[in-house]
Amino acid sequence: MKFIDKIRFVRQNMKKNRMRVFMTVLATAIGCAFLIMLASVGFGLQKSIITDLTEGKVLNEIYIHGKEDPGPENKSYMSDKDIEYFESIDNVKAVTRLQYLHYSQEAVVSIEDYQIQPRVAVSYFPAEVEMGMELSEGRLPSTDNEVLVGYNFKEYLEKPSEDANEPKVSYEDELIGQNLQLKIRKFDQTGNIEYKTIPLKVVGIKEKLANEFDKDTNITISDALFQQIEEFTQTKKGEVLFQEIEYEEDYLDGVQLNGERLYDRVSVYTQNVEQVKGVSEEIREKGYINTSVTDQIQEINTLFLVMKIGLIFVGTIALIIASIGIFNTMTMAVTERSSDIGIMKAIGAHPSTIRQIFLIESSYIGILGALIGTVSAFVLSKAVNIGLPFLIETMSEESSPEGLMFSYIPLSLVVISASISILVAVFSGWRPAKKATSVDVLKAMRRDL
Amino acid sequence: MIQMKQINHQFIIGKKKRKTIVPVLENVNFQIKQGEIVTIVGKSGSGKSTLLNLLSGYIRPTNGEIFIKDQNVTKLSEGDWADFRIQNLGFIFQSFQLIPSMTAYQNIELPLILKGASNIARKQQALDMLEMVGLSDHADYYPNELSGGQQQRVSIARALVVKPPIILADEPTGSLDSENEQELLNFIQKLNRDLNITFLIITHDDQVAAIGHRTLLIKDGKLQEEKVHEVHR
Repeated sequence: MKFIDKIRFVRQNMKKNRMRVFMTVLATAIGCAFLIMLASVGFGLQKSIITDLTEGKVLNEIYIHGKEDPGPENKSYMSDKDIEYFESIDNVKAVTRLQYLHYSQEAVVSIEDYQIQPRVAVSYFPAEVEMGMELSEGRLPSTDNEVLVGYNFKEYLEKPSEDANEPKVSYEDELIGQNLQLKIRKFDQTGNIEYKTIPLKVVGIKEKLANEFDKDTNITISDALFQQIEEFTQTKKGEVLFQEIEYEEDYLDGVQLNGERLYDRVSVYTQNVEQVKGVSEEIREKGYINTSVTDQIQEINTLFLVMKIGLIFVGTIALIIASIGIFNTMTMAVTERSSDIGIMKAIGAHPSTIRQIFLIESSYIGILGALIGTVSAFVLSKAVNIGLPFLIETMSEESSPEGLMFSYIPLSLVVISASISILVAVFSGWRPAKKATSVDVLKAMRRDL
Repeated sequence: MIQMKQINHQFIIGKKKRKTIVPVLENVNFQIKQGEIVTIVGKSGSGKSTLLNLLSGYIRPTNGEIFIKDQNVTKLSEGDWADFRIQNLGFIFQSFQLIPSMTAYQNIELPLILKGASNIARKQQALDMLEMVGLSDHADYYPNELSGGQQQRVSIARALVVKPPIILADEPTGSLDSENEQELLNFIQKLNRDLNITFLIITHDDQVAAIGHRTLLIKDGKLQEEKVHEVHR
């Protein structure tokens, strides 16, 4: 018997009891829609979190935290030797590195009456440019005294005031081309504080940070200027050694100038996102602690995978309940048609043909249910995504987080749910189909022969 | 064409300790040649229907062997029996056994569908059969809209549509009036003459038995005598 004829048979049979078939399909559709909707919450939250995490971030960045074993000198900083190693790794596109002036320096930058205490850094521009560093205004420094400032630098360049309640007055004029004063300090042999003022010229302002809550007030100076500061303080990173503190000898040895650059923040960038895992593992094997957005995404994905499996499992229970309906419908169909089955067998229908007809019928119910359930789930999902923010605002008088997706139905979820629906339907029809093949010809024909 | 060798058959009634063995057929031997009409007569409960059920493959003999078209069908699997049936056997039942939800045309088309015939071929053959049994204008009638005689003709058309070399008939005139009965018997004889189809007919009607080339009498599960009809000599 041809497959198309089996389908025709099934359709004819289903038409005989439309209401019963409709109710069974409805139960399957509700089960399927429930499964999709339940899991779509997991998919939606995962998508929202991942979008939030990756927004404005470079996915091929591996951030180096330090070394697992800092060694006897407790050096957690990266040195030029480490940078050289990172640059030698295959698939590494660039290695950006920053040196920060030591926090004890409390360097002050001023212009006219305005002051700011920024974070003073030195960066390696070729790598930054390679990784797409952009300026909102101006150009990159080309001489020792030229500097770049962060996007929010001007906003925090304020007139000092003794009254904390007094409103702050920020610098309003054009910053590019302006001369700034960088004031640094150290303690001399006699314990007196000694200041030095270094003139700087602003030539560029960096691009705004992707996350609007992050404020960039840094100032990026040249390597030569950084060394000049170190020479002034005679310590690495311009650290201020206080007279009243008794430093251990090892510590003092560690901060002594020896021509070595120590980087506070190092990021390795791969050619593409796929290479992040390999490079990250290679670096980790060499004893460098590192993380990447890809790592975080992987952790989140693993967490959500467990959650989604749980939700799909719960949703499947609804489908299993619907399968009882399918089983019932198919069993009744076999009982009602046992006479027809007997006649078909009597004239030469193969048992497998009979079995297939009933399996196709139960699959048909599963497919119809999955189809209707999927369409309903998409409509519901859309409605939930539109309606729930309103509901939250009404009930809590707070707006729901921007871009939060409550329900998201990816193609994979549709495929999984439809497959489970159809599998459950086929499984439910298996026993009735087997029963149909074992219909006794003589009993079915009321022992006519 | 058909051969039964040392066929014994018994039914087991009841379960475990209370079961009773009832012998139905004992040492049945006969042979039917191609193109023969053989009628089997006997009283109710004599075992004639069991004999036909064995030849149809609906039940299996307790002992003995059955050969149809030189093939030993005794130990065929259920699936193989189904294939063998659709290729070689046509069935005419006493109460027609038409599927009530199918039209006359669909009932006749059913064996062709089971055989996997193409749409065009089966449409042509089913319509030819309807014409042959004189029911062309009743193609879309459901069985309950047809008379007993018409239903039996649909049943015959269904049996013939796959052009089987053998037709097994169980009391084919049992549900027909005398006029329809005669019409059906003439038709069977015509099919036998024109298409050389072998018929094995179970009956208790002397008029039906008389159309056979030979009549076998079965009594208490045993073949008692064989009568060759003069008219066919």
